[in-house]
Amino acid sequence: MAKLSISNIEKSYGNSSILKGIDLDIEDGEFIALVGPSGCGKSTLLRIIAGLETHDGGSISINGELIDGLRASQRNLAMVFQSYALYPHLSVFENIAVPLQMRFLNGWQRLPFIGPFLPGARKNIDNIKEMVRNAAETLDLLHLLDRKPGQLSGGQRQRVAVGRALVREPQAFLLDEPLSNLDAKLRVHMRTEITELHRRLEATFVYVTHDQAEAMTMADRIAIMMDGELLQVAPPYEVYHNPTNIQVAEFIGSPKINILNVGQDNVGNLIIARQIVPFTYPHATISKLGVRPEAISIVSRPSHLHGKIAHWENFGAEAFFHIVLEGLKNRLIVRGAPTLIQTHKIGDEVNLELDLEQVMGFNADGARLNDRFIAKTRREVA
Amino acid sequence: MSVAIATHSTNPALLPANNKKQRSIISTTPWLFAGPAVMLMVIILIVPILLALYLSFTNYSLGAADFEWIGMENYERIFSRSNYAKMFTSTFIYVGVVVPGSIILGLLAALGINSLTIGRGFYQTIYFLPVMATLVAMALVWELALHPSIGIINRSFEIACEIPILSGFLTLEWVPFIDSSATFFGRGCVEGFPNWLGDRDTALPVLCFIGIWQAVGFNMVLYMAGLTSVPRSLYQAAEMDGVVSPWSRFWLVTWPMLGPTNVFVITITAIRSFQSFDTIEALTRGGPSKSTYVMMYALYEKGIKQNLIGMAAAITIIFLIFVFLLTTAQRYFVERKVHYS
Repeated sequence: MAKLSISNIEKSYGNSSILKGIDLDIEDGEFIALVGPSGCGKSTLLRIIAGLETHDGGSISINGELIDGLRASQRNLAMVFQSYALYPHLSVFENIAVPLQMRFLNGWQRLPFIGPFLPGARKNIDNIKEMVRNAAETLDLLHLLDRKPGQLSGGQRQRVAVGRALVREPQAFLLDEPLSNLDAKLRVHMRTEITELHRRLEATFVYVTHDQAEAMTMADRIAIMMDGELLQVAPPYEVYHNPTNIQVAEFIGSPKINILNVGQDNVGNLIIARQIVPFTYPHATISKLGVRPEAISIVSRPSHLHGKIAHWENFGAEAFFHIVLEGLKNRLIVRGAPTLIQTHKIGDEVNLELDLEQVMGFNADGARLNDRFIAKTRREVA
Repeated sequence: MSVAIATHSTNPALLPANNKKQRSIISTTPWLFAGPAVMLMVIILIVPILLALYLSFTNYSLGAADFEWIGMENYERIFSRSNYAKMFTSTFIYVGVVVPGSIILGLLAALGINSLTIGRGFYQTIYFLPVMATLVAMALVWELALHPSIGIINRSFEIACEIPILSGFLTLEWVPFIDSSATFFGRGCVEGFPNWLGDRDTALPVLCFIGIWQAVGFNMVLYMAGLTSVPRSLYQAAEMDGVVSPWSRFWLVTWPMLGPTNVFVITITAIRSFQSFDTIEALTRGGPSKSTYVMMYALYEKGIKQNLIGMAAAITIIFLIFVFLLTTAQRYFVERKVHYS
C-alpha cells in the first residue's frame, strides 16, 4: 500500500485556472475525502493523480517515487468511476478479470480460443479464476458472476466496479463520486459497505464527492476544495467544529450553519440584528458569527436575543425551528427538542440563548478568529 | 372511458346489459387509431408486392391485350438458364466484395479521422464527396479515367513504364525471387494495360472498386457517429486496467461498443449493393458477356427494355426475398447480440 504526495499541482484549461497549487499528503491506509461544490476541481485532481489527465505544474509521488511521467496504466492505481464504466458485453466475471488478464497474460495468451492452449497460459488462467472468485466473495458477487452488467441493479454494478478495482491489489483506490448514481437509501447503505471495505483492506482510498454527508461519515480526513484551492484538510470532527474558514463552515453541516453579521457597541458588546447580546470579543475585527443549529437554543428563561417561530421541521428525534429575527434577512435555524412543538405555535415569540463554547467568529475576509468569547454578567450589561 | 368501466364493473346489476357494447368499443378503437397507417401500408406496400407476386406467375408484357397464367415457368427459367446463373454469380460477387471492403475501409477511415485533432472536417468532406455526388455523373468520370487508350489511369501507367526508377519499383524488381516481367506491371508495360471495362476479367472488379469507393464515405459517417457514442469513461477504465496498446483497446472497447452500428452498416450496405444499378447502366450495361449482369440490371433489362413484365416481376420477388432475409438477420442480431442493456 502507499503514501501519496501531491505537491503544488497546477492545471488550467485555456485561461481558466482549475487547480491553483494543490499540496496534499495522503498517508498509507488513509481514507481521504476530496469534497467541494461542483466545478471546484476535485475530479480533475483525482484524474491527475490517476494519470488520465496531465498537470501543468507540480509533482505527484507514490511512496517517495515521482510518477509524473508514467501512464495511468503504469501507476498501479485503481479507479471506480461515477458511471461504473463496466464493459457491457462482458460478464461480471470477465469484467473483474480484465485487469488480471492484462497483467498476467501476454498478447497471444489473451487471444480467444487458442490463447488458453499456449504454453504457460493454463496456470495463469487458473490463477486469475481463483483471484476473481476471491474478490467476488469479498463483495458478495459470487451468484452474479455469469450476468452481464445490463442485468444488474445499480448497487450491484457499483460492487462489480469496486471488484474490478480491488482484484489486482493496487497501490491506492481512487473513487470518483461512486455513489451519486444510486438512490438515497442505497447510497446510505453503500457508505457503510465502502467504509468497512476500506477498514478490511487497509488500503489508501481517495474519495471524491460533492456530498458533505458522505465525506463526514466515511473519511478519516476531509480535504475541502473550492475554486481550485484546498481550504482545509482535517478529520471530520475538526472540520465541523473548528473550520478555519467561513466557506468551510458553510459547506460542512446540515442544516447549514447560521451566519450572522455582528457589530460591536462602544463597550465591546456584540450586536446581532440590532439586539445587544451580553458577550464581548477581544478582536475588534470580528464581522461575522457562525452559529451551528445546535449552538443556539430556545429557552424559557429571559435572554437577550428574541425572535418569532416561522416554521419547523420535525425529524422525530430532533426538530429544527426557523426563527425570524427582526432586522435579519435570513432565518435562524435552531435545533430543539420536538417537545417544543407541543408547547409552541407558529408565530410565537421565543427567547434564544447562544452557547459561547460553540459560537465561531470570522473576520471580514471570512477567516476564522480563534479567540474565545467572554460572557458578561447581567450587571455589567446593565 | 376508464371511469365508465370502473362504475360498471362495480355495479353487478348493470354488467350484463352493457358488457357487450363496451367490449365492441374497446376492440374497434385501436383499429381506428391504427387505421390510416395500416391503410397506407397496404396501399403502397402490400398491394404492389402481391401484384408483383401475381404477375411473376404470368407471361404479361406491358401493353399486351391478354396474358396467361404460366405457373412457375418464370422461376424455372431463372434457376435453369445460364444468363441468370451469371446474374446470381455477379450479384453475389459484387455484394461479397463491396460489403466487407467498404465496411472495413469505412471503419478504418472513421478510426483514423476520429484520432485526428486538426483537419477532421476536411477529411470527412473528402471521404463523403462520392456519396453526395450523383453516381451517374461520377460514372462518366470513371469511364473517361478507365478508357483503355486515353484514360488517365492507363496513360499514367504507360508514363511510369518509361521512367526506370518507377517502373523498376512497380514491377517489383527489388523483391527477390519474383520474375519482374511476369508481374501485372511488367506485362502491362510490354503488352499494354487492360481495357478495364471492356474485359470480362476486369469489368466486375472495377465495378466493385467503384462501389467501394462510393460506399466508404457513407459507412465512415455512420461509424463516426457510432464512435462518438462510445463512453469516454470506458476508454479510461481500460487505461486504468492496464490496456495500453491501441490494438487491445480496440478489441476490448471500441469493437464491442460499435455492435449496433455494425449491424446497421452491414445491412444498409448489403441492401444498397444488391440495389446497385446506375454504375452498371452507365459503364458496362451488364457486359462484357454478362460478366456484370447484376440483379437490378437484369430487372431493368427484362422489365423496361424487353417489356417482359412477368419475368421482371419474378426477379423482383427473388430480390425481395434476399432483402427480407437480410432484414430478418439484422433484427435477430440486434435483439440478441449487440444491445447490452
